[in-house]
Amino acid sequence: MIRLIAKRLTAAFATVLAVILLSGVLVHVVPGDPVTAMMAQSVTATPEAMDEMRSRLGLDLPVWMQVGRYALNALSGDLGTTIRGNEPVARLLLERLPNTFMLAVAGLGIALLLGIPLGFIAAVNRGTAADAAVMIVAVLGVSIPGFWLGLVLIQVFSLHLRWLPVAGTDFRNLILPAFTLGLTYCALVARMTRSALVEILAEDYIRTARARGLREHQVLIVHALRPALISIVTVVGLVFAYLMGGQVIVENVFSWNGIGRLAVQAMLQRDYPMIQGFIVIFATSVVVVSMSLDILYGILDPRMRQR
Amino acid sequence: MSVVLEAKRKRRGWRVPWNVALGLGLAAIVLAAALLSSWIAPFDPTRMAVGPRLAGPSAKFLFGTDEFGRDLFSRVLTGARLSLGIGFCAVVSGLAVGGLVGLVAAFAGRLIEAVLLRVIDVLYSFPDTLIALALVAFLGPGIVNATIAIAISLVPFYARVAYGLAAAERAKPYIEAARLAGINSGRLVRVHVMPNIGQSLIVMATLGFSSAILSAAGLSFLGLGVQPPSPEWGAILASGRNYITKAPWILIFPGLAICLTVLSFNLIGDSLRDLADPRRKRTS
Repeated sequence: MIRLIAKRLTAAFATVLAVILLSGVLVHVVPGDPVTAMMAQSVTATPEAMDEMRSRLGLDLPVWMQVGRYALNALSGDLGTTIRGNEPVARLLLERLPNTFMLAVAGLGIALLLGIPLGFIAAVNRGTAADAAVMIVAVLGVSIPGFWLGLVLIQVFSLHLRWLPVAGTDFRNLILPAFTLGLTYCALVARMTRSALVEILAEDYIRTARARGLREHQVLIVHALRPALISIVTVVGLVFAYLMGGQVIVENVFSWNGIGRLAVQAMLQRDYPMIQGFIVIFATSVVVVSMSLDILYGILDPRMRQR
Repeated sequence: MSVVLEAKRKRRGWRVPWNVALGLGLAAIVLAAALLSSWIAPFDPTRMAVGPRLAGPSAKFLFGTDEFGRDLFSRVLTGARLSLGIGFCAVVSGLAVGGLVGLVAAFAGRLIEAVLLRVIDVLYSFPDTLIALALVAFLGPGIVNATIAIAISLVPFYARVAYGLAAAERAKPYIEAARLAGINSGRLVRVHVMPNIGQSLIVMATLGFSSAILSAAGLSFLGLGVQPPSPEWGAILASGRNYITKAPWILIFPGLAICLTVLSFNLIGDSLRDLADPRRKRTS
């Protein structure tokens, strides 16, 4: 068990380090001079101001030194300061991270609460109309863009029915964005649940359980759904990563005050330190969540510890 | 692929499943809209004030008009060309680069294999839309940069698929025989491996197509992709979103266009994948 944790921690650290280096390098793939690009919209873009910006960002150093310096600073928690306002990037992002996590967890919860039963119904009634209906919902779910679903929900529930507010950050404002994410990603969960269950229902021990005369719901829930849930835990990390990715756009639809909204604002203003910081923080969150789930999985299923 | 298709045809006659039929039908409509848009669009999609502002759907303006009095039907039709064009370019270049990376990983020795696989796995764990978003943030907005960013965002997926197919092929006796005959890796891949995995790779390409179109719409919606007044579907939604109370058609038609296009390629991709991989068919 300790070996598993050590291995996962090392892998997680290596991934985060790789992402930090990558986002350090990204500034240098910008065609042309990044300072010119960043200050293009600024009125104070005198040659002196641009030189000062260049040395502030360390852009007069060789590339490998800049990337190295960025990585060292990032590892000690310093992600630089924003171009606009000169505020520490790490603080701005960490302030908004709880909002992002709140929405992500709510969305994931809805996705699981809808997706697992849907996948269960489809697998148990495999080949019937119910199965086909669930699979139609699943393929629709992966085809509808989250931002459009969000706009439609706003139109119906906020503007037309006036049940819920359009934007903001209190609990009532959480409902629509959380459902937007939940409805989009429940399709993925339903699909995974269904294929896990279909595989398990073909196992010998299910036949044995039925032969022993157990009631059908007992067979399905105790013998089939429980092991299926364990294999769902492994993919929850992946679903979470994709949900966080989709959330970047959804946060902008609902003006939700999370890191995704901050990131897109920075992208539109070409605030490079902020964009780099966002990439690092996003990657770290995803890596930490999937690492914790891996360890949790190791606790639930002793066979995993061997790998 | 063709062998599998052959076998299926014999087993239960030539019957197209409903999802494939629906997917192909929708794709045909979208493709026709894209190719014929300059002939069938009743108005110039970027010309303002061809009608009243925010007019509802009517016989003259099938989808209504937008906040500048532009014809929404013409804009949505022309948007099909933009979306399919971006999707096609991104998929072809992403597939070329990703396929190459996957093949190199499979045939260039242990060390390169280990390093490339690790990198591919790390990148694959990030959503492709987010990779595209991060790249566009540095490259700058615009249709060309968005296409490049989306193409790169598809590389990890295609690299993984190509590696998987190539690694399975690598274990087969004929590859060993070819190696014993003294063929170098480059020629081995070109002459022996590619013809065998090419078809499966193209099948997987259709799966990337739908996510490329979704990414393009998302980027344009945020103002980081195709810029207005170009009638990209995401861009139409972004500029019309302030008027959706008065004119819900600005919300409905471009959104439906995205959904139906993505749906058609998802339906086609899913069933092609089932055909290409009979093992999946049994469990799914």
